[in-house]
Amino acid sequence: MRGARHVARLCALAWALGAAPDALRAQSSDTLFATGVRAYKNLEFDLAAWLLRRDLAKVSAAGAPIAARSEGLVYLGAADLFRGRRDSAAAVFRRLVMLDPRYRPSRLVFPPEVTSLFDGVRLQTKTVAVAMPRDTTIVPGPGAFGMWIIASSFQLVDVTLRYEDGAPFRPLYSGPIGDSLNVQWDGLDAAGALPSINRVVLRVASRAPTGELTGIVQVPLGLSLSRPDTLPLPLPPADAQLLPERARSGAAMRAVMGGALLSGVVALLPAVVGGTDARSGPRIAVAGTIGLAGLVGYVLHRPGRPLTANVRANQALRDAWQQRVASTTAENVRRRRDVRVVVRTGDPTTIQPRGP
Amino acid sequence: MNLRLVCLALVAAVLAAGEARAQMLSPTVSASLISTRVRSQGQNPFIGAGPAFLGQGALALGRLKLTASYLQGTLNADGPFGASRPLVEGTLLLGVRALDWLTLETGPHARAYSLTASTERWLFWELRARAATAFVGSAVRGYAELWRVLGADVNVPESFDHGQGGEAGMIIRLARGPLEGRVGYRIDHAVLVAPTYQRRETVDGLVIGVGLSWH
Repeated sequence: MRGARHVARLCALAWALGAAPDALRAQSSDTLFATGVRAYKNLEFDLAAWLLRRDLAKVSAAGAPIAARSEGLVYLGAADLFRGRRDSAAAVFRRLVMLDPRYRPSRLVFPPEVTSLFDGVRLQTKTVAVAMPRDTTIVPGPGAFGMWIIASSFQLVDVTLRYEDGAPFRPLYSGPIGDSLNVQWDGLDAAGALPSINRVVLRVASRAPTGELTGIVQVPLGLSLSRPDTLPLPLPPADAQLLPERARSGAAMRAVMGGALLSGVVALLPAVVGGTDARSGPRIAVAGTIGLAGLVGYVLHRPGRPLTANVRANQALRDAWQQRVASTTAENVRRRRDVRVVVRTGDPTTIQPRGP
Repeated sequence: MNLRLVCLALVAAVLAAGEARAQMLSPTVSASLISTRVRSQGQNPFIGAGPAFLGQGALALGRLKLTASYLQGTLNADGPFGASRPLVEGTLLLGVRALDWLTLETGPHARAYSLTASTERWLFWELRARAATAFVGSAVRGYAELWRVLGADVNVPESFDHGQGGEAGMIIRLARGPLEGRVGYRIDHAVLVAPTYQRRETVDGLVIGVGLSWH
């Protein structure tokens, strides 16, 4: 009697939906989900299953978040279970586990029949989810890049980085996993060198304890190397900055010519001022002294004489430049070594082995 | 004539005053010994020589320069030319540094001879040009100075005709301190005229001195 009533309601709903397709299309997914959940709570499991399936088809097509799809799946699985379709419920729960291995149905909402069936399916379903930074820059070295492998249940996993063609690039972990596992990659290839390619695939292969392959999760990783710019080497001191290290002829010639000129002025001074009757002794003595000073100045400033103060000053300038070159070179060596790997994570894909 | 000199000095002072602001005072003092020789040719000829002390001081402010000097000595007559004469001279010159190496100065130059019966007083108004530059590194500076008498007032029977003079020498400064030594030769020559004769007065001397100069 009750089943007949449900069938009648479904027919009426189908008629209504068929008569008003535009209205249905306009109906939001939230409304479908809420209606389905309401039907589930009203123990109208057929209607709930029908509504939730439509809702799931819609949100899956729309690429809705995993959380939104998970809620629909658990209600759908529960509805199928109470419709007496245990296999269908198990399939729905398997789909849910594959979608989100971390998902656990609320034991306050769902009765033990549902949660125990879900747990049974979860224990039999060997799959993983991979959590890692979406876009990050690492310094190659131990523990540089970490990723969490979250398992649906105890299983064996092989975590490897592979070339795009599937060839192994770097094995990361092979062994059992209980709940979750943090796997580290040092940012290097199998030979310990920086990756020479710009794309690898993280592959996590799940195996049953018997060794049977149960699923593969692959995440594409885009790689690029980031090297800091090196500094330009400081230019050597310009010629204009360097002092002359050898005396030029200017100072010497100035001394001798200046002395000679001034001596001449002294000697000719009486003639210039008209006092030609002046005695010549003091005049000649002064002129001679000045001329001698000019000659001494010539010797002191003779051309080619090394100018030690200038040599020292220039050497200090060159030493300072060499120090700057050395420090810049060291800094550039450090910068060349300071290579970073930029890792960009793509969307994961899940591969299920074909059943027997 | 004197008024013109004062006007010239004032113009120079005004031109230099703008730059003189915010400048440091640069004082210079020196003491020199001069072997002075005077040769006076005329109606009462005199030739005499003797040591004299010359003290000089200068104060520079920017391009402005004020110089004062005082000379005192005794001229001992050579041979039959009479008794010795005390000689006193003084100058007060206001100058402006027209170029880095050229200074123009003007001011009075007074000279007095104490004779047996009287004192001859000469007052010259002079315009001087002094060139100075280093020629042995920065340690030895050479200088040459020429002056021309623009006007004079003398209490002698002859009337003043013209006069000019000059000095040249070198200033040695061996260290960075203010102490400097000076060797130079100076001469000035004045001509006075009377209706029947000419009086030619020449004073020259070897200058050796030390000084302190703060730049």
